[in-house]
Amino acid sequence: MTSAASTTAPVTAPGHEEAAQATPSLARRTLQVFTGNKLALTGVVLLVLLLLFSYLGPLLYDTEQTHTDLSQANLSPGTDGHLLGTTDLGYDMVGRLMVAGQTSLEIGLAAGLLATLFGTVYGAVSGYFGGWVDAAMMRITDAALAIPAMFLLVVVAAIITPTKGVLILIIAAVAWLSPARLVRGEALSLRNREYVQAMRMMGGGGARAVFKHIVPNAIGTVIVNCTFQIADAILYVSYLAFLGLSIPPPSADWGSMLSAGITYTQNGYWWLIFPPGIAIVLVVAAFNFIGDGLRDAFEVRLRK
Amino acid sequence: MTELQLSDAGPGTPAPLLSIDDLHVDIASRERTVHALDGISLDLAPGEALGVVGESGCGKTMTALSVLGLLPPGGAVTGGRILFDGQDLAAASAPTLQDVRGNTVGMVFQDPLTSLNPTMTIGAQVAEPLLLHREGIGRKEAWARAEEMLRLVGMPQPSERMKAYPHQLSGGMRQRVAIAMALVCEPKLLIADEPTTALDVTTQHQILELIDNLRRTLGMAMILVTHDLGVIANRVDRVAVMYAGKVAEQADVRDLFARPRHRYTEALFAALPERAAERGTELHTIPGLPPSLTVRPTGCRFAPRCLFATEECREREPELGPELAQELVPGSEASPGSETSLESEAPAHELVGAEHRFACFHPVPHGDAPEAQVVTPPPATATEPGEVLLELDALVKEFPLTGGPFARRRGTVSAVGGVSLTVRRGETFGMVGESGCGKTTLGRIVAGLEEPTAGTVRFDGRDLAGLSRTERRAHRRRIQLMFQDSTAAMDPRMRVGEILREPLVIQGVGTRADQERLTAGLLDAVGLPRGAVHRYPHEFSGGQRQRLGLARALTLSPDLVVADEPVSALDVSVQAQILNLMRELQHDRGLTYLFISHDLAVIRHLADTVGVMYLGKLVETGPAEQVYAAPLHPYTRGLLDTVNVPDPAVAAAGDREPLHGETPSAAKPPSGCRFRTRCPLAQDVCATTEPPVSTPNGAGHQVACHFPLAAPRLASRV
Amino acid sequence: MTGFLVKRFLQALVVLFLVSIIVFVLLHMLPGGPARAILGPKGTPQQITDFNHQQGYDRSLPTQYFMYVKRLFTGDLGDSYKLNSPVFELLKQRLPKTLLLTVLSTALAVVIAIPLGLLQAVRRGKASDYALTGLAFLLYATPVFFLGLIMIILFAQVIPIFPAEAPQGESIGELLKDFSGLVLPVVTMAFGIVAMFSRYMRSAVLDNLTEEYVRTAMAKGQSSRRIMVRHVLRNALIPLATLLGLYLPTLFSGALVVESMFNYPGMGLLFWNAAQGSDFPVLLGVTLVVGIATVVGSLLTDILYAVLDPRIRSVA
Repeated sequence: MTSAASTTAPVTAPGHEEAAQATPSLARRTLQVFTGNKLALTGVVLLVLLLLFSYLGPLLYDTEQTHTDLSQANLSPGTDGHLLGTTDLGYDMVGRLMVAGQTSLEIGLAAGLLATLFGTVYGAVSGYFGGWVDAAMMRITDAALAIPAMFLLVVVAAIITPTKGVLILIIAAVAWLSPARLVRGEALSLRNREYVQAMRMMGGGGARAVFKHIVPNAIGTVIVNCTFQIADAILYVSYLAFLGLSIPPPSADWGSMLSAGITYTQNGYWWLIFPPGIAIVLVVAAFNFIGDGLRDAFEVRLRK
Repeated sequence: MTELQLSDAGPGTPAPLLSIDDLHVDIASRERTVHALDGISLDLAPGEALGVVGESGCGKTMTALSVLGLLPPGGAVTGGRILFDGQDLAAASAPTLQDVRGNTVGMVFQDPLTSLNPTMTIGAQVAEPLLLHREGIGRKEAWARAEEMLRLVGMPQPSERMKAYPHQLSGGMRQRVAIAMALVCEPKLLIADEPTTALDVTTQHQILELIDNLRRTLGMAMILVTHDLGVIANRVDRVAVMYAGKVAEQADVRDLFARPRHRYTEALFAALPERAAERGTELHTIPGLPPSLTVRPTGCRFAPRCLFATEECREREPELGPELAQELVPGSEASPGSETSLESEAPAHELVGAEHRFACFHPVPHGDAPEAQVVTPPPATATEPGEVLLELDALVKEFPLTGGPFARRRGTVSAVGGVSLTVRRGETFGMVGESGCGKTTLGRIVAGLEEPTAGTVRFDGRDLAGLSRTERRAHRRRIQLMFQDSTAAMDPRMRVGEILREPLVIQGVGTRADQERLTAGLLDAVGLPRGAVHRYPHEFSGGQRQRLGLARALTLSPDLVVADEPVSALDVSVQAQILNLMRELQHDRGLTYLFISHDLAVIRHLADTVGVMYLGKLVETGPAEQVYAAPLHPYTRGLLDTVNVPDPAVAAAGDREPLHGETPSAAKPPSGCRFRTRCPLAQDVCATTEPPVSTPNGAGHQVACHFPLAAPRLASRV
Repeated sequence: MTGFLVKRFLQALVVLFLVSIIVFVLLHMLPGGPARAILGPKGTPQQITDFNHQQGYDRSLPTQYFMYVKRLFTGDLGDSYKLNSPVFELLKQRLPKTLLLTVLSTALAVVIAIPLGLLQAVRRGKASDYALTGLAFLLYATPVFFLGLIMIILFAQVIPIFPAEAPQGESIGELLKDFSGLVLPVVTMAFGIVAMFSRYMRSAVLDNLTEEYVRTAMAKGQSSRRIMVRHVLRNALIPLATLLGLYLPTLFSGALVVESMFNYPGMGLLFWNAAQGSDFPVLLGVTLVVGIATVVGSLLTDILYAVLDPRIRSVA
């Protein structure tokens, strides 16, 4: 705070107004608001812990995750050194959670980023050109949105055998719609802002408007939405798994672990159900907390 | 009881209706606490009208809001009392306050659109206070009373309007609804917080008239809060001038305007463009900005900006009090009683706190007219008008009309309906008119932001429509636009350095070092520190941002600067700084301005040539002095008569003929002369034939009217 | 308003056309094309060729699309090769049941979300607001089937008060008769959306509270409670109509999961079973119908919004 004030404090020239009080830089304020948001910080901590668990975990806690061992199936927690017991195929539950976490996080991140990237470009083009182009492009998103995502995903997954790459692609294929609409709205309003008009006055063209003014000013919205997209993508993976359309074993994700556990609801094998379920809830909530915190932080930035 | 004493007009002080005593209000947010009011004391007699005036942030609105306990979130009364009718409202419980609000105290806010509930009918909103405060009143009776109230506030067809929604009414009509709502329970006190600031000059006048009349009929007291010295001069008995959370001066309105005592009041008056004796003179400005109220300043709050401040002012805080005995010149006519006693019917309330009080150690001496001090001799005469730089010929701009956000096109709005004019090099062409008259659209066409529907724009002898793409790009350099709101006109994510260099980058002018040198020079020219390049636009104050906006407009060394309401969002003292700066730069750089404003005084101060627009038509144009002194068009004259002049004497003169009615919709402009529906001189021919342009007053002064005003008036007061 | 309605209606028609194109494209993406979809996995190559010729599937794509739409208008969505029944008949039975589930759970969600959001807005920044906000996020982050699982474990196993399986009646009346069986599916689905609605209510109420008309209402001497009910709540609820329209696809997705979970005899279950058995005519038929239902539903909610909001209604 003090350093910012001392470097930017202007000399007040006589005869004109006093300079406005030095304020902390935008980035600093954004960070302040974000770190002041307890939920957002919780989200960051949760996400870091889950990442460490999934990627560092296997290095510290080595388990057999490729070959099944039916003699070890469905052991309850604590048995034979299996902290959370074993699955119906005899995998160690904790080790399985780590491996599955990698899959869930990777698909979620990749699909979320891909959807955001494509959606942003689509929305920016639609919003910047406006008029007829915009109307046509938006009716296409309307139609795609009209078919509920789950139905579309299931049909596509039923046609194409899912692999990790295929899952990423088809989830991104339904998830891009929401960033597209959002960015389109931003672009529509940004292109009419006075600073874009001022730039046109100077003889600047469309490319400069989009890349120097519209995209940088929409970036906050895009980043925020991206975190929500990642969260949704992770949920979609789990839904597909529940509907029996996930990557075939021996690979696994948290959703497929959970749906495998459903079969044993009647047997009281709670360790098959709650750990992966809670893992999904935590990672999705973490991304949402972060997104919400970022949204507040960016809003402050724009308001001032 | 008190009311009886009042009508007596006898000696003795009647009990005040409202008595604010040493009121302190803090507004706390997460980062800081602002001491918005720091010991305010005001008295108001029954039936009296008190004006509270000051620049933004002085606490005038907080004073008004605190009376009814309507402070914004984080706001709280931290000390003092608000006695209304014997009750301390500052300490009152929620039910007690609710009982007062809308019942014995009514309130009108600034923005008549946002302050009405968009999804409730007018009738339901006006009847609401009755249903709340008049026990046993039925819905039917409440509605009947509400309708009666609407009729009283001059709403045409009130019974139909009862079922309408706010968005279906014009701004002026909405404010009438807001007034009806505030007065439907016949309160003893009306608090009006900038009630006409969002409105056009003519509507503003009508609303103020209405409030005036209703106040008399209902015998209400009123607190009128405004930043507009013109409004305050004409509508109240007594004025309190506020500065930085304190009352700086209070006095009878005529006394205050004739003989301000506080140095702040004096400086405020001097900054008014109306007070500059002559066109072309430099305006008096107040250096600096009001203090931020997060810490209580020591000494007089105005001292840092005051030309007369001494050590004493900086160390000790002056008390608000009447003239000290030793300073009083015996037999001085400034003693408050003598002036008012000349009036045949001195209202009794003038006896309450009517004495002239001020908080200043070095007040303006008696007998000193403020003008005598502040008017500086006019600078060298304006540059001789050069050759024609800009020529508009029968310019037309129509916009498609869509009914609401979803409906299809249903007609056209004629924003500019055939305007021809010429602007000469080196002059300032002032375009004046009410909102919706097309002046902004005209400016945007000239600036190249809109394409005209028909007509031609010739710049420096060349028709702009005939330019090739590259020529057009190069042409952009020669005309630049200065926006009203520089905040919106600057990318919030760019630093000032980048913002100022952007025009050069786009036009490919010079190396980066050249560009930086040039921007540094521009910052010097507009009076900002060079270090500003490292900062973001939001870190500057409104006035500083307008300086930046001007600097950016000048980066490409344009010939013509189109300035669209560049000072409308600024306080009087800051406005004066910007106007002076614009004049100075024009002189130094040989600029031509197309200056667009709704403010007649500002235009008069700055412009060499004036154009008056009404509903898309240029009704009159000519040399500024001539147009103001001898207007030819009835609209120009009406406009000049409608403006609130910051001088109570003018208002009292009463020879003014203000405009009536509302501007018709530009989607269905009247046939023939567009002004005929409001014109006192209209004849049949006005409806059938568009008036030709004539020059009864000499070649330079054109008017588009069938019956131009023959007799020139002596002088305008604007 | 008529202008708005006409435009909105035309938009909906365009969207319906595009929805049919999407389904048509999916049909052609099937392994073996539409013939395989209709004839099922047992069809021989010769049968497929004959079928393609007979049905015109060897003609140009636009012609095929035209024929496809023509069949749609006669209600011909093909036959299920698992259930031996026309898809149209299956949908006729199942769609109302899914609508029942959707309507009941949406109503429940709205009834819970409105006071919840209101409470959060009034207590903004207080502990209860943070707690409820955190809870809403957790609820939003919980996959519906995990939520359903928890419901089953809690209320069908640990405290067995509700059956874990939905009623299996032929008609809606029969479903309603076995109301206790409806409880878990409806509550599960409602919880899945309550988080979104309460978030919306919270921010809508907060937005409205900062509006100046609230200050005007206070200046009239109304109590906070009355302002909340007469002014703020009313204005915050109007856009909820559009929100319902926007969330229709989410609702149907939720129905798919909940029906599969509780074995509720609606369209979602039909769809799920079809997915397990690669019953493509059913899959595509359901997809199309759900798409149409969404378009019509959001058209209806937009009209409702226009009727409720005088700013749109009275632009005559």
